[in-house]
Amino acid sequence: MIDAANLSLDRRQAVGIVGESGSGKTMLCRALIGTLPRHGAKIVSGTVRFDGQDLAGAPERVWRGIRGREIGYIPQSSLAGLNPVLTVETQLVESIAAVGSMSRQQAREEAVALIERVQIPRAEQVLKARSHELSGGMRQRVMIAAAIAQGPKLLIADEPTTALDVTIQREILNLITQLRQELNMALILVSHDLAVIEEVCDEVMVMYAGASVEAGPVAALSKAPRHPYTRALRVSRVDRAAPGRDLEAIPGDAASVGSWPAGCRFWPRCGLADEACRRDSQPALMPAGEQLSACIHAERMAEMEQ
Amino acid sequence: MTSSPGGIGARTLRLLRHPVLRRLAQAFFVAFLLMVFAFLLIRLIPGDPAMILLGDEATEEDVIAYRKLLGIDGSIPSQFGRYVANLVRGDFGVSIRSREPVLSIVGKRLPVSLWLTVTTIVMTIGLALPLGVAAALYRRTWFGHAFQIGASVMVATPVFFSGLLLILLFAVQVNLAPIAGYHAGFPANLYYLWLPALTINFVLVPVLSRILQSSIVETSSEEFVEAAIIRGTQGWRFYWRYLLRPSLAPTIAALGYFAATVVSYAVIIEIIFNLPGLGMTLVDAVRNRDYPLVQGIVFLSGLLVVGLTFMADLVNGWLDPRAKIR
Repeated sequence: MIDAANLSLDRRQAVGIVGESGSGKTMLCRALIGTLPRHGAKIVSGTVRFDGQDLAGAPERVWRGIRGREIGYIPQSSLAGLNPVLTVETQLVESIAAVGSMSRQQAREEAVALIERVQIPRAEQVLKARSHELSGGMRQRVMIAAAIAQGPKLLIADEPTTALDVTIQREILNLITQLRQELNMALILVSHDLAVIEEVCDEVMVMYAGASVEAGPVAALSKAPRHPYTRALRVSRVDRAAPGRDLEAIPGDAASVGSWPAGCRFWPRCGLADEACRRDSQPALMPAGEQLSACIHAERMAEMEQ
Repeated sequence: MTSSPGGIGARTLRLLRHPVLRRLAQAFFVAFLLMVFAFLLIRLIPGDPAMILLGDEATEEDVIAYRKLLGIDGSIPSQFGRYVANLVRGDFGVSIRSREPVLSIVGKRLPVSLWLTVTTIVMTIGLALPLGVAAALYRRTWFGHAFQIGASVMVATPVFFSGLLLILLFAVQVNLAPIAGYHAGFPANLYYLWLPALTINFVLVPVLSRILQSSIVETSSEEFVEAAIIRGTQGWRFYWRYLLRPSLAPTIAALGYFAATVVSYAVIIEIIFNLPGLGMTLVDAVRNRDYPLVQGIVFLSGLLVVGLTFMADLVNGWLDPRAKIR
């Protein structure tokens, strides 16, 4: 369940969504691609505008013209995203052929080009392979190839590196960045890792318990966070940890749907929480510094840092 | 010389290790076991063919002499030895009762049973496939619920009962099928076969379409299905490639198995519909303790079963690489 999230991006812009598991990142992305009903959810209020067209509540017929064509999507558990009984070729060709009238031969050549584009060597061989014959990194590359097959204007990547080991993660991130520039795509990158987003995106939105709690330019959020949750995310990062000291963890568990506390949803885990936080409802995003924050103590955070 | 002339070369060896051949070898082993069981089981049933044939007034000497004549004298192992030796030469023996060669009896009766099996399976596929798909796609609607209930009722109905009901409906009331009997020759024989086939399908279709339904439902929650929707895959491509094909393996395996059980259903069905197939012949043969005939029918129809399951495995490997024979 998400009840307060606002996300907008321009062409060629890259926006990151960060938050713990269960904060609503994936649900938000599913809403953007119109497959919420499959998860037993729906958009109760709000809009999804794409290229000036309102898609919230649009009929399935409209969505079919959008999915793949206008918006490419790399799903979260994309290691299981390939059909085990079909070859890579069949699946890529079917994505390509959806674009328009193209002969089998043309579509095949296009598939080879796509595989080369996502930097997989021996394209011919990979095209004939099935999911179980490929490594995790290769599968992820194939999923990326399928996502960009129809030349979308926007690419949504939902935790594209989570299931991969660290060296492959870097390669995949570099690949996504490169493709974005080559193909002039806007990008929405979802991750639970702030470092990943800082590397790839211009803007970032931090989500906690179904609400966006801070949003703004990546540099601003990482230099001077204006929400305690964002700061906690930064502090708990492995690469910022001081050697020889325990890693700082955010106390408590992430609030899950149905057990959201009254007041600000973050207060039980927050060092700044006071009576007002417990009493007033979840604050809306308000300007704070160069960004927007949903913390009533945003000013205090700014003072504390000086 | 590294390889002896005329010996098995490396290529032949590799071919021999081919998974399909290995599976075939397994099938032959099963067939052999089947032959042993057929031989032993009929001899476990009390009753002596010689005594049955000669009647109550026969003397001890008559019975012993007659046993020798029928070739069922001596110890069980020696009988088995003779049986296998004859079998290897393609000699299935002679029916004790009619003195007709077993192979020629089976040759006359098998086509009827085969036709019944083929008609049944074609009908099964034609009914179970659309039903299973529909039941999966509309499982939350009234159709889905009706399907669940209907399927349970049909499975629970014994074939001799549903068979009689169907005869009453289609042969007596509407006159779309004969009450009983058979005439050889395709396609005229279909007129005699469709009702028996439908009767067997009263059991097969509900079971198979439910297997299919549950595997489609399972498949539909797979990541790759949503990934395909998100990529914009639609139409028949989506349904066939992403829902049906990955879900077929259990259904085809079950179909192979059920095709086999048709042979045993056929016993009851052939009696109800008075079809001159193997089933009826088998029942008579058991009653008469016609050892060679029983052995021959059990072994040959067993071969049919083994062949059908083998074929199902092959089809599965082709449709779904995960199920490929290894």
